[in-house]
Amino acid sequence: MITPLKALRKNRFKTALIFTSMTVSIAAIFLISAIANGVVGMYSAMLKTDGDIIVTQKGISDTFFSDINASLVTPIQHLHGVKHVGALILGAAPVEPLPIVGIYGVSENRFKRYTLMQGSYPKAGEALVGSKLYETLHHPKTILLSQKTFAISGVFKSAIGFEDGGVVIPLSEGGDLFHKSASIFLITLTDLGQSDRILTEINALSPHIEAKTTDAFINAYNQFKIIQTSSDVIGAMAFLMGILGIVSMMSMVVNDRKSEFGIMRSLGLSPTFIIKRLLAETLIIAVVAFVVALGASWGILDVIEHTNKFQGYIDGEITWALGIKVFVVSLVMAMVGTLLPALYAARIDPMTLIQKGGA
Amino acid sequence: MRIDAMGINHYYGSEQVLKGVTLSLKSGGFVAIIGESGSGKTTLLSILSTLLHPTEGSVTFEGKGLDQWGNIDTFRRHNIGFVFQFHYLIAHLTVRENVALSALDTTTVDPLLQQLGIARLAHRYSDEISGGERQRSAIARALVNSPSVVFADEPTGNLDTKNALAVYELFKTFSAQGRGFVVASHDKRIAEYADTIIQMEDGHIVKISQ
Repeated sequence: MITPLKALRKNRFKTALIFTSMTVSIAAIFLISAIANGVVGMYSAMLKTDGDIIVTQKGISDTFFSDINASLVTPIQHLHGVKHVGALILGAAPVEPLPIVGIYGVSENRFKRYTLMQGSYPKAGEALVGSKLYETLHHPKTILLSQKTFAISGVFKSAIGFEDGGVVIPLSEGGDLFHKSASIFLITLTDLGQSDRILTEINALSPHIEAKTTDAFINAYNQFKIIQTSSDVIGAMAFLMGILGIVSMMSMVVNDRKSEFGIMRSLGLSPTFIIKRLLAETLIIAVVAFVVALGASWGILDVIEHTNKFQGYIDGEITWALGIKVFVVSLVMAMVGTLLPALYAARIDPMTLIQKGGA
Repeated sequence: MRIDAMGINHYYGSEQVLKGVTLSLKSGGFVAIIGESGSGKTTLLSILSTLLHPTEGSVTFEGKGLDQWGNIDTFRRHNIGFVFQFHYLIAHLTVRENVALSALDTTTVDPLLQQLGIARLAHRYSDEISGGERQRSAIARALVNSPSVVFADEPTGNLDTKNALAVYELFKTFSAQGRGFVVASHDKRIAEYADTIIQMEDGHIVKISQ
C-alpha cells in the first residue's frame, strides 16, 4: 500500500492527470444516472401516490397523450374493493418567463394530497401553484396558462419536483385547457390482493381504456425506458472515455518507468507482481476519484436543484444502489484501463537496461 | 553454481556478435570478461545470466538447461544477481526499500546494508546519495537473496577511480566468501582483482587466464 502511494507521489503530474480523467468520468456517470433516476423517481412517485392501479387510454405511449372519459370514475368507484378514485389531466404549457410548466388538472377528491402552505384549494378560474414555481415567479397573484388567466388561490408544497414546480387546477379547467376530460385515473384499493379481479372489471368497462397496477405500468413505461437507455448509453460513453484516459496516461507512466519494471524483471520479480503493483496504483486513484466525484456530484446536483431556471424538475437522486454500482464501475474502469499498459510493463525485457547502459 | 556455455552463436539481425563460444565457469570466484567495445563481452554476459537467449548453442546451470529449472523468474530470484552500469535504483523507494524489493527474507536486508557500509543511507532516496553509494546500493540489491552468482555489466562505467576500485574490492571480498561474480568490463584495472580473466575479441574468446 505504501509503495504504490510513493510511486503515485513521485509521478505527481501524471497521477493528477489520471485522477482528473477518472474523476470527470465517474462524476459524469453519477450525474447522468442520478438525474435519470431523479426524473423516473419523481414521476413514479407522483403516479404511485394514492395509486395502486392506473387507468390510461388504451395503447398510448405517454400519459400526456392519454384521453379517457372522466365519467368512468363513478362505475369504478362502485367496484367492490375500490377505496378511492382520482382523475388527473397531465399537461404542460409555457408560463412567462419559463419555457414549460407542468399543469395538473385534478379531481377535487385529490386536492388534499397537496399540502397547503398558504391560501386555499382552487375553485373554477383559480390555480394552486407549487412553492418552487411561486418563488420562481416572484409571488404572483395571477398566472396565465394557455391564454387563460387564473387567480392564484394558494401555494402548496410537494417533495416531488414536477409538482412543486407546477400548477394544480380543477379537473374541469384542465379539460378546457387541454380538450379532454381526463388523462389518467389513479385508484387506491382496500386490499391489494384483489387487484387482478378489479383490473379485469375496470378493463371490461370500456374498450378504450387500459388498467394496470401502477408498478406494472411504471416497469413497462416507454418514457422511462428511453430515459434509462439514454442514461446508460451516456454513462457507457463516460466509462469508455475514462478507460481511454487511463490507458493513455498509464502507457506514458509505464514508458517513463521502463527501467523500474526492467530491473524488477531482472531481479526475478514476476510479471504478476508488476501487474499487481500498477493495478494497486490505479485502484488507489480510483477510490480517491470516486470519493471526490461523489462529493462533486452531490454539490452539482444541489446547485441544479436550487437553480430556479430548472424549477426543481431536475432532482438528481444518488441512492446507495447507484453509489455501489458506480463504485464497482470505477474499480472496473481502473482495472481495465490499467491492464494493457500493465501487461506491456510486465513484458519489458531487462536487456533494455543493458542496451541503455551501453557496451 | 557451475555454468556451461556450448557452441554459442548470437546474431543481432545479420551481424554475428558471438562466434562459437564455449565456456565453463565453476562455482564461485571473480571472473572478469574483458575486451574492446563490440567484442561481444556484454552479449556473452547477457546470455550467461539468462537475460538473452542465444541464437544457437546452449547454456546449462549445474548441468541443467533453463527449461529444467522451471520458472525463469524464480530461478533468477533465487540464483542470480545483477548489477548494471547505471544503478537503476527505483527513485520513489528508499535505499532499504530498493534492496528489500525482491528479498525472499527481509531480515537479511539490514545486515547486508551494514556489511556494505550503507546502513546510514537506508532511509534516503537515490537522488540524496552519491554515485558510489548508489552503486553500492545496487550491489546490495543484487546480493540480497544470496545468489550463487552475480553478473555485472560495466559496473564502474559511471564511477570515478576511487569508487570504481571500491566496487572491485567489494566483489573480491564477497567472492572470497564463496559468491561468484562475472563482470564484463573494458576497464583494465579489473585484472588486478579478478581470479579469472576471459579476454574477448570480435565475438571469440581469445584468452582465458587465471
